[in-house]
Amino acid sequence: MTKIAAKKVRRRLRFRFSFKWFLVYVFMLSLVAFTALPIVYMVSTAFKPIDELFIYPPQFFVRRPTLINFSNLLFALNSSEVPFVRYIFNSVLTASVTVGLTVIVSAMGAFSLVKYKPPGSNIIFMIILGALMFSPHVTQIPTYMVVNSLGIINTYLALIIPKVAVAYNFFLMKQFTEQLPDVLLEAARIDGAGEWYIFWKIVMPSLRPAWATLIVFSFVANWNDYFSPLIFTTSQTMKTLPLALQTIAGGLSIARAGAVGAATLLMTMPTIIIFTIMQAKVMETMVHSGIKA
Amino acid sequence: MKRYMLSMKARRIRDGYLFVLPWIIGCIFFFAGPILLSIRLSFSKLIKVTGFQMEWLGLDNYMRAFVYDVTFIPMFLEVVKNMFVNTPLIVIFSLFIAMLLNRDIKLRGLFRVVFFLPVLLGAGYVMQQLIGYGVDKESIEVAKGMLLPREMLLYFGPRVSGFIQLFLDRFTIILWKSGVQILLFLSGLQGIPPALYEAARCDSATEWEMFWKITLPMISPVILLNIVYTIIDSFTDFANPIIDFIYQTAFQRTEFEYAAAVGWIYFIFILIILGMTFGLMKRYIYRTGK
Repeated sequence: MTKIAAKKVRRRLRFRFSFKWFLVYVFMLSLVAFTALPIVYMVSTAFKPIDELFIYPPQFFVRRPTLINFSNLLFALNSSEVPFVRYIFNSVLTASVTVGLTVIVSAMGAFSLVKYKPPGSNIIFMIILGALMFSPHVTQIPTYMVVNSLGIINTYLALIIPKVAVAYNFFLMKQFTEQLPDVLLEAARIDGAGEWYIFWKIVMPSLRPAWATLIVFSFVANWNDYFSPLIFTTSQTMKTLPLALQTIAGGLSIARAGAVGAATLLMTMPTIIIFTIMQAKVMETMVHSGIKA
Repeated sequence: MKRYMLSMKARRIRDGYLFVLPWIIGCIFFFAGPILLSIRLSFSKLIKVTGFQMEWLGLDNYMRAFVYDVTFIPMFLEVVKNMFVNTPLIVIFSLFIAMLLNRDIKLRGLFRVVFFLPVLLGAGYVMQQLIGYGVDKESIEVAKGMLLPREMLLYFGPRVSGFIQLFLDRFTIILWKSGVQILLFLSGLQGIPPALYEAARCDSATEWEMFWKITLPMISPVILLNIVYTIIDSFTDFANPIIDFIYQTAFQRTEFEYAAAVGWIYFIFILIILGMTFGLMKRYIYRTGK
């Protein structure tokens, strides 16, 4: 008797439990849908033929997908101005060189400040913490003046050098380097390894999750960076993708919406690809040890 | 001949400086230098861009923002209002999501990636592109059409439908801006020792009590971190009208001095807000190991 009653109660409990979970899933999936909606819309716009772009109210999904927007973007726009491929080349070159340099420079600096602690390292830490709070836009104007006086306006250098010594990257590397055991370095020194050798063969390989995270963040930031190419370059041949996107979108006409969609899709692809490659590592490092209070 | 030998300690210091040198050079040229220049610039009148030729002007640029410029103060108040409304909403919402994700929910990986996706796109111009050229708005329109049929909106009348529209608009902003906060909260939640919950359960505490008495105090440092992050994030945001204003003033009307002054006013305001946040939160922060 009591047994049956207990069973009943338990079943009811389980039912309520799963109903609660059902609600949770519905809620979460609707949030996911809401977040992903603009992206889905952008992708479907990129594949829309011209007559579908003009439908009002706009249709969410594409009915007859075509690749015409992409071929327009890559070939038809060539005749008028700078070939679109040139923008892609500029973006890839500046973003990858910047990311490479910033990873090496930040890792070296963090390694030095954490493991050697030369006099004055505390002051540098303070500067970095302060710099984390600064908006780049406040210093954009004087940076322009500095870049101008160095005489590198309108070169690839102007797009790369100012973005190498970024405080946030340094901070991230510092947090990870602190977890590296000193014993490892001592052992290498006893075996007669030079400091440079230690850095490349021991420190860098053990900090792989750190620089994987850094590569993702830094690449996303540089790839999407709109301000520095706008300010530091003057000729059309030096512009990068975000600016090209604006040029294409210029005029706000609906007919261009397809080309804009295609360009935006091309632009977001690399960040999404890099993120999915590095995803497992980034999530792990962020969740476990990354930036914790 | 006496050979000069560095001691072990001196050599290590030298090596340390060599490793950090590239970063310091970059920092002096492209961070510290520009900061000092920008302070000077905000108090002076620029004569020539190339040689940094400036003329001391005193507080004129600052006066201009508060006294002469009619657009600045209303815009500033609007930005402040938005910040005060959005920051608590973003923090509460991301805590809520993080707590859901912290349970053994299925498809956890998918949820994590999707909620982080806006950070990838939103870090830059693409986000602005999506909003600016109406893609986002259109998609919201379409979504509204799917979620709420037009007749329903008509039935409720303009006030309610306007309210729903406002809610949806703000909701998208919050959703798109809470990626990093969710991750930070997740890391904080995973740092809470499960033994605490077990002990509480033995004392027959409810979930509700456990949330207020265990979860909240234990993640209070992360809450502070997230508030700070959200404020700074809104400061550097693209959609922020003041940032846009600074950019327009500097590079389209080439009034560098005025733009620098506005930038500093805004920055000092943010510093005050952050200081107040720290001051207020200090007594509610629970520190372990004390």
